[in-house]
Amino acid sequence: MEKSVVDELVAIFAKENVLTDNEDMIAYSYDAAHIEIKPEAVVFATTTEQVSHLMKLAYRENIPVTPRGQGSGLSGGSIPLKQGIVLAMDRMNKVIDFDPDNRLITVETGMTTSDIDPIAATSNLFYPPDPGSVAFSTIGGNIAENAGGLRGLKYGVTKDYVQMMKVVLPQGEIVTLGSKCVKHVAGFNTETLFVGSEGLLGVITEVTLSLLPIPEHRESALAIFDSLDSAAQTVSDIIAAGVTPSTMEFMDNETINAIQNFKDCGLPREAQAVLLIETDGVKDSARAEMVKVEEVVKKNQAKDFSIAKTAADRDNLFAGRRVALNALASVKPNLILEDATVMRSKLPEMVRGIIEIADRHQVKVGIFGHAGDGNLHPTFLLDMKDADEKERTDKAVKELFQLAIDLEGTISGEHGIGLEKKPFLMDQIGSAGITLLQDIKKTLDPKNLLNPGKMFDMPDKVSA
Amino acid sequence: MNMKISATKEAETHLLEAAKEFQKCMQCGKCRSVCPVFREMGNELYVARGKNKLAEKLVSGDIEITDKVEHAINECLNCKTCSANCPAGVSPEHVVLRLRWYITTQKGLHFFKALIFRQLLWRKWPITLGCAIVGLAQKMLFGIGPKNPVRHLFPLFGFAKRRNFPRLAIRSAQSQLPELNTSKTATTKMRVGYFTGCAGNLIYTNVARSVVDVLTGYGYEVVIPKKQKCNGTPVLANGDYEGARRLMEHNFELFRQYDLDAIVVACSSCGMALKKEIKLFIDDSPELTEFTGKVFDINEFIEHNLDIKAEHLGQIPYTVTYHDPCHMVRGQGIKEQPRKLLKMIPGVDYKEMNNADSCCGSAGSYCITHYETAIKINNHKIKDIQEVQADTVATGCPTCVMHIADNLAQHHSRENVRFVVEILADSLRAAKTI
Repeated sequence: MEKSVVDELVAIFAKENVLTDNEDMIAYSYDAAHIEIKPEAVVFATTTEQVSHLMKLAYRENIPVTPRGQGSGLSGGSIPLKQGIVLAMDRMNKVIDFDPDNRLITVETGMTTSDIDPIAATSNLFYPPDPGSVAFSTIGGNIAENAGGLRGLKYGVTKDYVQMMKVVLPQGEIVTLGSKCVKHVAGFNTETLFVGSEGLLGVITEVTLSLLPIPEHRESALAIFDSLDSAAQTVSDIIAAGVTPSTMEFMDNETINAIQNFKDCGLPREAQAVLLIETDGVKDSARAEMVKVEEVVKKNQAKDFSIAKTAADRDNLFAGRRVALNALASVKPNLILEDATVMRSKLPEMVRGIIEIADRHQVKVGIFGHAGDGNLHPTFLLDMKDADEKERTDKAVKELFQLAIDLEGTISGEHGIGLEKKPFLMDQIGSAGITLLQDIKKTLDPKNLLNPGKMFDMPDKVSA
Repeated sequence: MNMKISATKEAETHLLEAAKEFQKCMQCGKCRSVCPVFREMGNELYVARGKNKLAEKLVSGDIEITDKVEHAINECLNCKTCSANCPAGVSPEHVVLRLRWYITTQKGLHFFKALIFRQLLWRKWPITLGCAIVGLAQKMLFGIGPKNPVRHLFPLFGFAKRRNFPRLAIRSAQSQLPELNTSKTATTKMRVGYFTGCAGNLIYTNVARSVVDVLTGYGYEVVIPKKQKCNGTPVLANGDYEGARRLMEHNFELFRQYDLDAIVVACSSCGMALKKEIKLFIDDSPELTEFTGKVFDINEFIEHNLDIKAEHLGQIPYTVTYHDPCHMVRGQGIKEQPRKLLKMIPGVDYKEMNNADSCCGSAGSYCITHYETAIKINNHKIKDIQEVQADTVATGCPTCVMHIADNLAQHHSRENVRFVVEILADSLRAAKTI
């Protein structure tokens, strides 16, 4: 990077917030995806104005800029594909305003998502989306990827909680979108455009999120099944019975065995599926819902069903789910964690399809995930150094995406497209869909400098 | 590892062992939410994931050992918070240690480190003598307070100027106490070896006395082999694999000569080194397994073996909180035992502080070489201690005691920092049990 540009960066961000050493570039060349590209500089923003100055500089000098939170994304969204500057947002992590009367909190977007709850809890409120990375991903990253979590069925996902945001557009203008009001129809519904925009349309620097009251009571249960179909039927029947569990987690036989090998969590190895079910709300209603759940589970010939009576009981029931990913990670040196999602009615077909694909390519896959919202995490286990195994796994992953599309599902439920799923987006949304995305991108970022090359390519090869 | 193995082979081994760990990294980034060093530095290069990546690049040859690489590798407390929280089961601290050892094979050991680790710690007497001289000077010249001119000596050895030092022993514990301390009861339950550690020998001699008094008072014979040397922790942490190996082997051979039923330590790092890390230095054998199986932290040993009854204990009217040393809670899985001991003492009002198991930043020699960061890390600990409003902070690691006491003094905070076994011994003495 030219010295004059670096000097300007130092003028904007101060010396201690600008990195250019090779070692630092290595440290900012990756995230949780499997791709590495070194940037030419890393800057740490602490104000919205700095971000605006940076984008103006980038536009003047034609330098690509890639925003980054904690680098925990699974689709490669924060990798500086075209090098240039990495804009690290994780030092913009202050609370701007907590407004319990209106159940709102306004924070800088570099804040770690789980840091919101202790503040909200002082007024008995909570922020529902809880992606697996909630303890170490930023709220900005959650918004950019429209993150989900365990409670999607009942509580929705990130987009359902974004009220208002401050955004620096690619050419440096600062705009405030949305409103703190529950109802707001002045202008297009632009804030939702930025939720899930993967850092392509602007840099979100502040956000106002809506919060909900902490449910008074929680009931937790574990159901064990001998067959996949009875587990899947149970999921459908629970919903049909009018129950909306806050959590309905699924784990398959491969995952159960990986867990038992890793640590004895009391799960029967021959079980084909387990469901972890939680209901919450006012005490009587949470309990009444769990009674209905129990009826449905029994009707579907569950092998075993247990309801937690104490917090310690609940911890025991959830012990296996908590270590599921650790357990799968210990089976082979590497894993590829996918997030293909279908409607919940298609779950049995999806699970059987995944197992069939894995068998056909002779690869190992463990399936767990959020059964209530159809968001599964097929986790392929492999040794990346084994080229043959890597190739077979890549083929299996590709077929998994097609399977999801064929079942009217989506190739990504919560991780985003980024680089990892870019080749498959066309299959899902078609060429007209891609053209619309390109047109929106061009309107806001005509030089294609903000996080270029992610999600889709621009038609004029500027981004190729 | 055999001493005769060539340097190239040794270098290869270190990289290979590092690779076994960093290859497991899923790059999820969870370590960013727990690493005390990263919390202060805020740069990915200094978090476990960044260090794993550096290691990968060193192994692949994409990067050389630059000053910055060394700097990053040295910015690690070996507190094991990352490995305790890692979903992929990586032990990044072992990647760091292997890299430090590897770097030494490539660049050699700094002459100052070689002097300390290969000569002074090995010969032992110069350190004992040096401490006695400083200890005497501290005593003669106005105690250890801010007016003591002796404190101006320490910066000459690389210590931070504003640092407060403990009083060093004029007579070491090993010279105060006999090698054989017989049981004070009619029968002898066990013959226990006591590994004092350097700090127990040269600084916190009251800890050594407490250990011996408590154990002999409850029917144990305590042997303090006079030829014991440093366990090797500061040596291995500073890149000197061979120096640490020599010390580990020495202590291993020495303690085996005494026909002991158990070996106790009152220092968290000594305990972890003798139980676990020794296995990285000495080839596996039934003798080694037998040795490591006999090592117990004093808290663990007392809680498990001693039949301390309520009437044995005298009043200790303190409000006490407990700080978990990293090498005790994560290094050895000892968490409840010291708390149980404290809670059974009459008069003790035990209060659990927030984040009791977060690293205090001392990390042995880290707080000498990285004092400013070590103090920033410690400031969080001071806040937690002050919030709980205790008058005594109990713990089980000499460098934690030193660092927390230093920073409490800098905050004009009056809490005492003591070892659990000291408080327990005081209580037993108050009831005239020992």
